[in-house]
Amino acid sequence: MFRRRFAGVVAAGAAVAALLTACGGGDGATDGPVTLKVLTWEPGGTEYWQQVKTTFEASHPDIKLEMQSVPFDKYPEVQGPYITSQSGPDVMANNAGLELFDRRGAYVPLGEKAAQINKDLVTYSGACEGFDTAKPCYGVPFSYQGNVLYFNKDVLRNAGLDPEQPPATWAEFGAACDAVTKSGKTCLALGLSGTFPAYWDFPEIARNYLSEDDIRGLLAGTLSWTDPKLVAVLEKLAEITTSGWTNKNAPSITMLPDGADIFQRGDAAFAGTIISDAVNWEAFGKALGDDKLGVTRWPVINADAPLAKKFSGIEGAVYGVTQWSDKKDAGLEFITWLAGKENGELWVKYAKGQPLNKNVDPSLLPSSPAFRTIQELVADPTLHAGVMLSGPEADALARGWQQVTLGQLTVDKWATQMQQALERSPTKKQGK
Amino acid sequence: MTVSTAPVAEPSAADQSTRSRPPSRRPGRAREWWLGAVLVLPALALVVMFKLVPLVRGVITSLESSSGFDSGGFAGADNYTRMFDDPMVLTSFRNALLVVATLPFWVVIPLVLAVFIHQRAPGWTFFRAVYFVPYTIAPIVVGIMFRQILAPDGPINALLRTVGLEPLAIEWLNGRWSALFSLVAVALWSFFGLGVMTYLAGLATIPEEVMEAAYLDGAGFWRRLFSVVVPMLRPTVAYWSVLCASGVLIWLFPLIYALTQGGPGDATMLPEYLVFLTTFQFLDRGYGSAIGIALFVFVALLSVFSVRHMFTEGTRKPR
Repeated sequence: MFRRRFAGVVAAGAAVAALLTACGGGDGATDGPVTLKVLTWEPGGTEYWQQVKTTFEASHPDIKLEMQSVPFDKYPEVQGPYITSQSGPDVMANNAGLELFDRRGAYVPLGEKAAQINKDLVTYSGACEGFDTAKPCYGVPFSYQGNVLYFNKDVLRNAGLDPEQPPATWAEFGAACDAVTKSGKTCLALGLSGTFPAYWDFPEIARNYLSEDDIRGLLAGTLSWTDPKLVAVLEKLAEITTSGWTNKNAPSITMLPDGADIFQRGDAAFAGTIISDAVNWEAFGKALGDDKLGVTRWPVINADAPLAKKFSGIEGAVYGVTQWSDKKDAGLEFITWLAGKENGELWVKYAKGQPLNKNVDPSLLPSSPAFRTIQELVADPTLHAGVMLSGPEADALARGWQQVTLGQLTVDKWATQMQQALERSPTKKQGK
Repeated sequence: MTVSTAPVAEPSAADQSTRSRPPSRRPGRAREWWLGAVLVLPALALVVMFKLVPLVRGVITSLESSSGFDSGGFAGADNYTRMFDDPMVLTSFRNALLVVATLPFWVVIPLVLAVFIHQRAPGWTFFRAVYFVPYTIAPIVVGIMFRQILAPDGPINALLRTVGLEPLAIEWLNGRWSALFSLVAVALWSFFGLGVMTYLAGLATIPEEVMEAAYLDGAGFWRRLFSVVVPMLRPTVAYWSVLCASGVLIWLFPLIYALTQGGPGDATMLPEYLVFLTTFQFLDRGYGSAIGIALFVFVALLSVFSVRHMFTEGTRKPR
């Protein structure tokens, strides 16, 4: 009996020891490669990320990558519990700007390393607090993002318009929309259920009313939503739908995929979306044909405004090393590589995106006419007002736009709701 | 009937001494008590771990201020008082009351269908399966499916136009009221199969002779339903009512997520979705928890009367 018990105790002890070894055996304690867990929504697509993994691991045999990929629209709720429990991935992504600012407590400040990484990048400092490189920076970007207006040349032609001369002013855009509507097509493909259009279209109107200081005020929460400049921005945003320029069901459908589908089916003349990642020039080019796809800056409202003819540029996804990671050196090595020339070229080749690294071989850039036009537009950038919005503001902007479109809300009340949302924002309160 | 007048025998001294002694079954009872405790303990531990601890944690979090994902300080009752000035919170609870007002449909429609099946209406075996199928589809899939079905040019509107009911072909998810009631209708479609099954289980306990007697007495369908079935099914109806009263306030999240995201505007904003939005999108954990606790109290108040009634019914001794 005693022998049996003793044998049982020894077996249990051995099992516990084995379990503890398996759990506690950190990468530092073994001679094998370090495994970095990376949380990403795979901007640029799966093929690009497969290339990232293969290429990085080939040049770094001591580091393995383990990707956890989450759909973009589910990302915040997957990331949130990791941050609240201070555990999980070693490297994570966030969009530049306030989204990263909101979650910066999860990341290791890069210190002097940031300047070293950023020296080769075209950067707007969206990975740094307050868009200021003198302040702490929490991550490394590699892609370039921003908003443009795509158009279907065939739809414009059939409406009696010149596809080589897309509307450049607000008045011209209205006239074009009237012509397109008469031809039986939708002018601007839009889906307002969700925050994307509000997030993307708002900065394109805002550039006509705000200065760069005003946009920084938006980030700091010091610019009131009842300020006449911001009220004017909301009025013009409302005009897009109340003037009948969009599909009637816009309030009840999403931009991704529903609104984008309308454009990709050839049922709309215009679609306002982004230059990298999903629903960009490449996706539309594939659907419509590169020769039929045009791209332009959003129409100018106030030609005299200092930012009216600039491009709302911003870094795309930013990758940082988590506070709780016990593989910080390997994490830093990986994100530094992400910002480098080698990955910049993978980004161009496989994701068809605009790289941030200035040393990327220009001969690799896509030859699509739309991409070439985007190159010209992005040459004169300014701050992107959309990424300055806190969660409550972005939500109130999207909901208010739906209500205004349905005639349930006036622009003044929308501005009041926006101000209430600003005051509810915990992160902007913190920023004050 | 006779009444005995014989004197009752006085208890003997021996009997009295036996009574004054401790009962001889006490060790057995103690063993039973311990056995009972051991059997209950795992369930108790699970309840404490997965119900009580999260609830207490939720209450604690609701008393904290939060700034993004950083840990916050003590906020006292601020998060609770803040709710009274927040139009979105007030709208979400007003919408919740409107949803609760649809409860009669949730209770009656499955009951009627269950009685039809129980009465073996033509095709009853087929419909028994068909009614349950929607419940087996994941709510998020139901939401995505109905986003297409309820689209302005979707199959429902196409059908209405085909049968000459063009004015009824509205934008179901676009309007202030149509969106909320479309959402409820989709939820009802998704969940009523469970109600039918619940009622069928209850109906199986009603003796067939009772129904046959009512039929032979000439009672029609509605008479049999309200005079025979409903009174005998009271515990089942009460159970299903409680489940629905709480369910309509906590089942709808995946449908809101897939169908309307609380919109247009705040038309379909319900407290459960607002908790999600506040906590994970706005990163305001303390306030999100406070709204969650308020929802918990709201659901508890709605359910307490029915649960009390069920308890009374369940513990009532047969006459």
